[in-house]
Amino acid sequence: MSHHSHPPVSDEVLVIRDVHKAFGGLVIMRGIDLTLKRGERHAILGPNGAGKSTLFNLISGNFPPTSGEILLNGREIQGLPPERINRMGLARSFQITNIFGRMTAFENNRMGVLARHGVRFDLLHRIAKRSDINDEAEAILNQVRLGHRIRTQAADLSYSEQRSLEIGMTLATGPDVILLDEPTAGMSREETAYIVELIREVTTGKTLLIVEHDMSVVFSLCNRISVLVYGQILATGAPEEIRANKAVQEAYLGEEAA
Amino acid sequence: MTRLLLALIAAAVLVALPPFLGLGWQNTLTNMLIAALFAAAFNLLMGQGGMLSFGHAAYYGLGAFAVLHLMLAIENGFNFPTALLPLAGAGVGLLSGLGAGYFAAKRTGVYFSLVTLALAELLHAIAPHWQGLFGGEAGLSSMRMPSWGLEFGTSLEVYYVTLAWVVVSIGLLYAYTLTPFGRLTLALRDNEQRVRFMGFDPHRTKVLVFGISAMFSGVAGGLMAMSQETANYNIFSMAISSQVVLQTFVGGSTLFLGPVLGAAVLTVFTFLISEMTRAWMLYQGILFVLIMLFAPNGIAGVIQLHIDARDRLPWARLTGPYALATAAGAVATTGLVMLVHYAELVFADAYRARVARDGLWEPVSAFGIDWNPLNPVTWLVPLALIVLGIVGILKMRGPIAQLWATPANIPPTAAMPAPHAA
Repeated sequence: MSHHSHPPVSDEVLVIRDVHKAFGGLVIMRGIDLTLKRGERHAILGPNGAGKSTLFNLISGNFPPTSGEILLNGREIQGLPPERINRMGLARSFQITNIFGRMTAFENNRMGVLARHGVRFDLLHRIAKRSDINDEAEAILNQVRLGHRIRTQAADLSYSEQRSLEIGMTLATGPDVILLDEPTAGMSREETAYIVELIREVTTGKTLLIVEHDMSVVFSLCNRISVLVYGQILATGAPEEIRANKAVQEAYLGEEAA
Repeated sequence: MTRLLLALIAAAVLVALPPFLGLGWQNTLTNMLIAALFAAAFNLLMGQGGMLSFGHAAYYGLGAFAVLHLMLAIENGFNFPTALLPLAGAGVGLLSGLGAGYFAAKRTGVYFSLVTLALAELLHAIAPHWQGLFGGEAGLSSMRMPSWGLEFGTSLEVYYVTLAWVVVSIGLLYAYTLTPFGRLTLALRDNEQRVRFMGFDPHRTKVLVFGISAMFSGVAGGLMAMSQETANYNIFSMAISSQVVLQTFVGGSTLFLGPVLGAAVLTVFTFLISEMTRAWMLYQGILFVLIMLFAPNGIAGVIQLHIDARDRLPWARLTGPYALATAAGAVATTGLVMLVHYAELVFADAYRARVARDGLWEPVSAFGIDWNPLNPVTWLVPLALIVLGIVGILKMRGPIAQLWATPANIPPTAAMPAPHAA
């Protein structure tokens, strides 16, 4: 509703304003401000413990912020449960592979398609007869190049296939904002290149927020970068700007170069 | 194809056999069908939803009391067909399940189980003091009234009505697995967090799964009430709740028909064994422990394993080791039965009293032979049989494992080294 009354906001898909998060006395987020424009691919860089995963958890609803607000397409989402945020158009993957191991690759994707179609409590139809949903799930499986694995149990897929599958599951709920948490973690160079190409392909026309450690991935895939250090955004800008930024070099890139 | 054939054979047996059986067997088969439905309903929650309820007697019992109240109303002139009585069990089961599920599903794992346990124990404690609803300690009793041209006087009639209800209910539970919600149930079991982040509300989902499981448990309880024409607060007891857990695991919770099989096997087992010995619960417990240790997917899991490998197993060569292992198992079982039998006799109150009074150790009998309990041989023979049986089984494990590892259908020449290797 509210985003109809604020037309200028529509270009800003995700807005994070002065978000704080503390667990008991432990302060993790110290006032985050971040805006994602429609269609951009935005990377979050930062050393371990900077709060990257916490930021993802706050945006996706895993837990609420202590203070501050988060707007998705102009609507406040802070404090909402994950399923509500997902239905409003935001989907995420996880740092540690998070799939339905005892279901087939196809079924993993189909769960997302079911959710997108609002099929949540349907006890009266055979799922096999829902060809619209099944076709869509198969199309997404092909999109993440797992078409040949359609009947394979997700737990039996190789690690990089599982990561591809998870990207498919993230796509399946039909989001316009996609959060990927270290999608190339633990992958070889070839696998990484493969996944990056895949991400580029499937996120075209969508807004991407990605946590990534691999600099080459970040600089080749993303058009904007934010550097998160110690619970605050140190700098946001185009890749060249970030590369040239003195503070960033000292805080983070310098360590990598050393 | 084979599956359909097996189902038809099972159906034919269940329909055609009972008229030729005695009353005891007819009642046992009715109990078996009810237990099978209860286990299938329980396993919807446990096997498919991943939620282990330790208090499913609650919904079973509430279904039973609902049906008894309806039966009493019919006695007083309310017009309702007797064959549809279990509908009352379904309705009350569903409502109470949704209510209990709302609270229980707020927690996961052990805490979920403890909430279900507490709710059932609550009923068990309240029921004997609640005269109006549960008939106090004596419980409620009623009579089946004739309707639809059926007298409902004989066990056989009750059996056929039960059979129809159980077949339809288990059919519906199977159909459940084919629906979108059925797939969501499995996804929830696999990974609740992922389900949430894909836009599903896990709590609502769990509450509905719980409700449906309780609904069919209520049907089972209702069928029991209809068959027995009575129930008291003991229907809420831990024994009923744990029995269904036991049956489900013995049969195998990972396969749809596993719990049905487990319930059927254990009901018949109990019927046969409890006639012979008071130690039947011990045997049931031993069976449970052995299955958990050596076949965690239950009897159905073992059968499924063989079906999956049927094309590659060298069946002819397996027959020998399987027969020997079975014989060894029989030897060990014989030893165990002797031991338990002696213990039962020697520790019986009357026997202890005679020993205390007269210092007289009367002989114990097994297989028509009298054994002196003070003679070590009496105890060494069964022990030796047990050891012999176990050793026999262990000896057969190697050859059986080897045959299982045999590669499938490879022509003998292919397995030999090539004579002209490059």
